Parts: sequence; structure tokens; C-alpha cells
Amino acid sequence: MLSSRLIPRTAVRSALRSQSSLPTVLSPVSRWRRGYASQAEEKDLVIIGGGVAGYVAAIKAGQEGLKVTCIEKRGMLGGTCLNVGCIPSKSLLNNSHLYHQILHDTKNRGIEVGDVKLNLQAMMKAKDTSVTGLTKGIEFLFKKNGVEYIKGTGAFASEHEVKVALNDGGETSVIGKNILIATGSESTPFPGLEFDEKRVVTSTGALSLEKVPEKMIVIGGGIIGLEMGSVWSRLGAKVTVVEFLDQIGGPGMDNEIAKQTLKLLKKQGMEFKLGTKVVSGDNSGETVKLEVDSAKGGKSETLDADVVLVAIGRRPYTAGLGLENVGLEVDERGRVVIDSEYRTKASHIRCIGDCTFGPMLAHKAEEEAVAAVEYIKKGYGHVNYGVIPSVMYTHPEVAWVGQSEQDLKKDNIPYKIGTFPFSANSRAKTNLDTEGMVKMIADPETDRLLGCHIIGPNAGEMIAEATLALEYGASTEDIARTCHAHPTLAEAFKEAAMATYSKAIHY
Amino acid sequence: MASFATATRLSARLVSRRVAQDAATRGFRTSATSPAAQNFMMPALSPTMTEGNIATWKVKEGDSFSAGDVLLEIETDKASMDVEAQDDGVVMKIMQGDGTKSIQVGTRIGVLAEPGDNLSELEIPADEKPAQTDTKKDEPAQKEEAKETAPEKQASGQKQPEKSGEKAPPQKYPLYPSVEHLVKEHKLDESSISEMTPTGPGGRLLKGDVLAYLGSVSSKRPEEIMARFVHNSHLDLSNIKVAAPKEAPKAAKAPLEAPIPEDLLVSLPVSLAAVIEVQKKIEATLGTFMPLSTFIARATEVANDELPLPSNYKPTANELFNQILGLDKVGPKGSQGNYLPQISALPTPTLSGVAPKPKTKVDIIDFLAGPAKKSANKAKKAALRPSFSTGNNIFSLSVPKAEEKRAKVFLQRVKAVLEAEPGRLVL
Repeated sequence: MLSSRLIPRTAVRSALRSQSSLPTVLSPVSRWRRGYASQAEEKDLVIIGGGVAGYVAAIKAGQEGLKVTCIEKRGMLGGTCLNVGCIPSKSLLNNSHLYHQILHDTKNRGIEVGDVKLNLQAMMKAKDTSVTGLTKGIEFLFKKNGVEYIKGTGAFASEHEVKVALNDGGETSVIGKNILIATGSESTPFPGLEFDEKRVVTSTGALSLEKVPEKMIVIGGGIIGLEMGSVWSRLGAKVTVVEFLDQIGGPGMDNEIAKQTLKLLKKQGMEFKLGTKVVSGDNSGETVKLEVDSAKGGKSETLDADVVLVAIGRRPYTAGLGLENVGLEVDERGRVVIDSEYRTKASHIRCIGDCTFGPMLAHKAEEEAVAAVEYIKKGYGHVNYGVIPSVMYTHPEVAWVGQSEQDLKKDNIPYKIGTFPFSANSRAKTNLDTEGMVKMIADPETDRLLGCHIIGPNAGEMIAEATLALEYGASTEDIARTCHAHPTLAEAFKEAAMATYSKAIHY
Repeated sequence: MASFATATRLSARLVSRRVAQDAATRGFRTSATSPAAQNFMMPALSPTMTEGNIATWKVKEGDSFSAGDVLLEIETDKASMDVEAQDDGVVMKIMQGDGTKSIQVGTRIGVLAEPGDNLSELEIPADEKPAQTDTKKDEPAQKEEAKETAPEKQASGQKQPEKSGEKAPPQKYPLYPSVEHLVKEHKLDESSISEMTPTGPGGRLLKGDVLAYLGSVSSKRPEEIMARFVHNSHLDLSNIKVAAPKEAPKAAKAPLEAPIPEDLLVSLPVSLAAVIEVQKKIEATLGTFMPLSTFIARATEVANDELPLPSNYKPTANELFNQILGLDKVGPKGSQGNYLPQISALPTPTLSGVAPKPKTKVDIIDFLAGPAKKSANKAKKAALRPSFSTGNNIFSLSVPKAEEKRAKVFLQRVKAVLEAEPGRLVL
């Protein structure tokens, strides 16, 4: 054990000591600005937005030794994801599932429960505890990695200066060699129905309703709509989902899986109006009324509900950021225009996350945050956009990564499919939770995995294995020849791989 | 400075990885045959470093050193830095002395032994210079490859010394289970593995590559799939439609908002009595029920034909060309409209003809697709409750002012068609 273990360390006596280590940064403006030493201290990186994209970038930059400031106006770090998105919804999904199970499912398992009562306030409190714990955790990580955190609203004053209207009143300004826009997205409103977050709600309002509505309409059958619809349906609301397309799940979800999901959710008591367009809404009366039309023309009807959740998508949020002050472009959907290295027109200003291109997913934003900081620091970063998993946390969960059958069909790419149902999986059987299947899509000649789609218990965790396989260019045979513990749900994943390249053993 | 930290971390990683491999290979040897001396290569101190100079050695041949001691100082075009030992050892030989310039990364600069080794008994191991072509490339990944092939060769070289002349780099990762299986099944030896073309990420050999080598699938297939994966791995930034700049909000707002109030609501009462009569007749004679919407859709179609041009109509390039040639007088003088009348049962308070300003409604799909697509001559639906009455109905269109005449003609035609001979619309 010797010798070749040599660590060259940076006892650098470089002649270039005084020079900036950030090669991409030296725009003429920054040099010019340097002349005025009286201005506020110049940071290596100023991040506008403390959501998943922003805070991850801040921590990463701190770890890389950059002087970094993060500006967040919510007063809490973590953005939509932690405060009003992924995290609180998962809390409600998990707890409402438990409640629903105790009500309807435990008897078959030999557990008889007495009087079961829902204490919605306590359930909300459990959610808030999770959220606060996590957001405080990020604040701690900021401190640990030397990130300066400013609570306030940032706006471009010039190419290198961001003015911040502080939440506590007053104003300050930060100067950055690099600036990162990570302002995220907001719920797209439904024209004619104004959000009051009580009766006409976004996902934010749907996370903190004061009581379980008797009737609830969800406009939009995408992931957000189905998750929140599930929560309130389990807690006792009569939920109707109105979706314009003929399929639920939004883009990306495999058609076959989407159909099965629809069937299972219907069985749980949710109602669906597919191929239906909401024409207008009226929340002046006691209930909220919606005029809906069949999307193909003809048949119209009026629906009413106590609460209407508008989940028709999200749009980039850059209002008040002053993009026009520095001449930055957005596209027709409001996404900040970037190049492949996340640079905007001004090369020292980068943009990542929901406010620019690509799927609006927290984990995509996180990857981009790391890549963007690496571009600034090292000149190279990487995100593999072909291998970004999606998960819907209904019950059963739905998860997918890579290409769907309809994608391949559309592009005339040949493929083969292997599936395995959870009803043939021993662990699922013992759990009495056997709905769903694993579907694998591979190249028919080389057997390389092209995509994987799972509906079933724990699909969201299982998709990690498919993601890893895709990242490594594995064939389904590689997966099938990898030992999976018994009895686990993951065996279904292995068997689906076997079914793809040869034959499943247990089906 | 910071970039050096990174660079160093990288090379440190490489070094430690190599150590792990060394440790593994050494573990299998018996102590008797073990050559404890190891080549010490020129380290890469940054991802882009291809060569460097040795400033000074801080140790002499025969010196012992312990972990953390500075062994030598290396200069590159950017900076100079110390190289430290990570473990204890003895300097056996220095191959490249102080001041040697332009030493390629991976070139042997010295030989080191373990502490306590008897230097006089040790053999100096063979030089394992990496292929020169590898060092030329700038990709950090390629660098890593170059760095890592060296110990790999060393490891496998002991089993099959005759293989050292191979051109293709051997697989540096454990073979995938499927690949291993195929290799064994077809009794392929290691030399054939190096003849295969890896198409996996980072040059990994995939099942498809072996199949292509064996000829059981088309030889192009693995590369085609690789191309698709590479394509999908990038964010699609093609066809970005930049929105009109929001600059000068004061100036932009005025013209943007101005035309909206100028939208004119043109309406005309139309009696559907004739239509309903025909509808009943058809049902009585043919037994099929024709919905009102069918009549109206067909009437709309007819009425949209050859409408007079809007007053602010801008001729297309083709039309301008025709004008120059004088052909415009020959052809039809109007254009196809795409109006869709909004129909409502006659509301009582708006008999004056001036309907209340309708609240603009946006189609949800338009909305999701983006706000910019506001087609001016697409009729906007009024907020009037859509319904039919058997008697008089108000057919209305909300259009820009310039299209007033056009819209009126359209409505008059609809009226004429629906009131006069609705039967001809469907039969």
C-alpha cells in the first residue's frame, strides 16, 4: 500500500494568484464595475430564489468555495416543493391513505378498530411539522456551507446588481459576478375563476382546506390533480376530475399504464369526466358552478362543488424580476430563454428550474442546480434529460422513466415489451396490495432498456432501479441477471425484465 | 485558486482509485513473487492538464517519506503545486530529474517502494506509458480513461503478458452480466472483447455490442440506439419562440390594450322558427333528428365564404404580386372568414342593440399553449348564457373594429340562410 497513493494538493504558489478562478465570469462590465470599490461586496454568485433549484445551487456553490448569496421572498426556504408542493402533499397522501386503510381495509387483515375519527387539524399540523423541519434544515445547511441568506424580493437593477426589497422593510442590493435565476413557477389560473384559496383553490389551497368538502371538482387530471383529488377523496369528499384530454396522468405517462390507473382510481370512488372542457365557472353562488362541454363538441352540462381545485398546469414565474431591465428574453410561454449551459443572453446570468425549459420537476431542478454551479466553477456540468424519472404518489403509485410506448410508436422505433403483474409477486400478495404491474420497454435487437413504467405499490422507489439501469445503458437481461432479494416487490421488476428478454419464471 | 482545488480533488480521486486496484491485485499475489516497487506517473493536476514540468524533487533516491510529505513540485502553464505522498514509502529511483520540461501526464517520472523494502533486491517494473493518442484529447472523461487504463493493463498484463500490444483499450469496468454471459456462452476470449465497439455510456460494452459483434443483430443497431439516447439526454432548446420583448412597458401597454376595448360586438336577431320547422319535417319524414347545431354549423360555413376583406387587411406577398400583374381584378375579391357566431336566446334588456361588453373568455388549451396567440378575427364568445330559443335569437360576433363590415355581412348571410331556406342546408 504505498507510493502511487500520492495526493497532489493545492499548495498553489501560482503566479496567477490574484486572478479570478472563474473564467466564464469576466465580462467587460464586471471589470468596469470593479473600479468602484465603494459598492457592496461583490459575490461570486447571487441566486434569486430559494426553492429546490436555488437552495441546491447555493449549497453546492458554498461547497465549491464560492461566495454566494441566496435571495428568497417566501421567508421560508425550499420553494414550492417544500412549502406548498411535493412535501406537504406527501404528508397528506400518506396520512390520508392510513386513514382510508383503517376505515376500509384493516378488517380483512384481522385488525378490528373501534371508532375511527378524522382530526383534520391534527393531520394538517403533522404536515406543517414535516415542512418546518425540512425548511429549517435547509437554513442550517446554508449556515454550514457559508451561504448568505437574504429574505426579500430580488429584481435586476443592472446586469450585475440585484436590488432586494427586504421582507422586514428596507432595501438592499447585492452585486454578483454570476447571477442565477431560479424563481420557479406558479399555478396557471383558470380564466374566469379567480383563486380565493378557499373555494377556488390551487394546489396550495388544496393542501390546507379547513374542512373536508362534500363535493370537490378537480380541473385537470395530471399528477397534481390526481394526488390532491386522492387525498380529499380518501378523507370523504366526492371528487370529480374533469380532464380535457382523453387520458389522465398528463404527458409522459404510458397510455396503457394511464388506463390502468384510471380504472383503479375509479374503483376507489373518484369520478372522471375525460374529454371534457370546462367552459366557464361561477363562484358567486353558494357552491362553485362549472359549465362543461364535451371536448368533441355537443353535450354540455353544469357541475357544482364546494371546492374547485384548478390543476391545469404551472407556468414560469418571473414577475417583478425585472428581466426587461437587463434585456433577458422569455419565450411565448414565459420560460426564460437559455442555452445548453443555462446561460441567458447575458452569459454571466444563468437560469435553471421551473422558470426555464424542461419538465417542471424538483429533481430536475436539483440536477440543473449542480450542473449550473459546475459550469460556473469548472466549465463543465451535465444533466441527462433522457433519464429523469416521474412519480405520481396516488395509491397505487405510478412511476416511469425513459420513453413510453406512444413515444416510440410516434417515432417509428421498434420495441419489445415485457410486463409482470404484482398479483404474481409474493410480497405484494402477502401485503394484500396486488394491483398494478411493471412494464419494460426494450430494443428488440440489442435488448437495451428504453423505458420502464410501473404502477403498483412502491413504484416511486422501484423506479430508481430502472433509472440506474437506463443511465448505465443496461439491457433487460442485465437486470434479470442481477439478484433481487426475496420476497420483495422489486422481484416484480426483475421478473418484468425476464419477461422482456426471455420469460418470467413466476407468471 | 478554486479550480485547483477541484483539479486536485479529481486527481486525488484518480490516484486513490488506482490504489484500490493496486490493493486488489496485490492481494492476490504471494509475497515471494511480489514486486513491491511501483511506477510513479506524472499526475494530472487539472482535468485539462496534458503535460507539466518538474520544478524540483523534494526527496532524493533512497529517501523514506511518510504520508503527507511533499515529494516534488510540478509546474504547468497555469501554476505550480506540490505533490504529496498519501502513504509511507521509499523513493527507489527518480527517472525525470529537476527541471525536466513538458512531461506528458501518465509518463513515468520515478519508482517508489514500500517502507522497509530492500531497494537493492527490488526490480524496477516495466514502464507502462499510456497510448500517446489518449493524452491528446481534452475531454476529462478521456483523461480518466487514459489514467485508468494504465493500472488495468498492469493487472491483466501479469496473467497474459503477450497481450500488451493490443490496440483497443480493454474494458475498464466489470462486464455487464449479460455481456459476461454471452462471452462465456460463445467462448470469446479477451482479445475479441477488445475488437467490439462499445456504445454504452462512458465507453461501456453493452449486450447489444456483443450481439452486433457476433452478427446476431445488425451491426448498426447499437449505434442507432446510442444516437437516440444521446439526443434525448439534451434539453430540447430548438424552435424557441421568443416572446415579444416587454421592454418599455408604458409604450407597449397602450397599443396592446387599446384594440381590446375597440372590439366591437356585432349582433343580429335571427329567427330559428324556419329551422325548427324543417327540423320537425325531417324527423317526421326521414325519422332522423337533426340537431340545431348542425344547421347553424352549415349556415356558418356558407356564410363564411368570400367575405369582404377587413378594412385593415394587409395583402400577402402573393396578392401584392398579383396586383402588380393586374391579376387581382380577375380573382374573387373576398376572403374566407372563420367566424363562429355566439348564439343566445334574446335577452330582454339589450333590445337597444348595444349588448353589454362581454367578458373575454379564453379557451383553456389556448391558455395553456400561451397567451400570445390571440387571433383577432376569431370570434370571441360572449359571456351571454349560450342557449337557443325557438323564436328570436341573438347571433353575435365580437370583432376588431376594422372587421365590422365583414362581420355584418357574415351575420346577414347567416340570417338569410337560416330564415329563408334552412332545408337546403342539410338536404
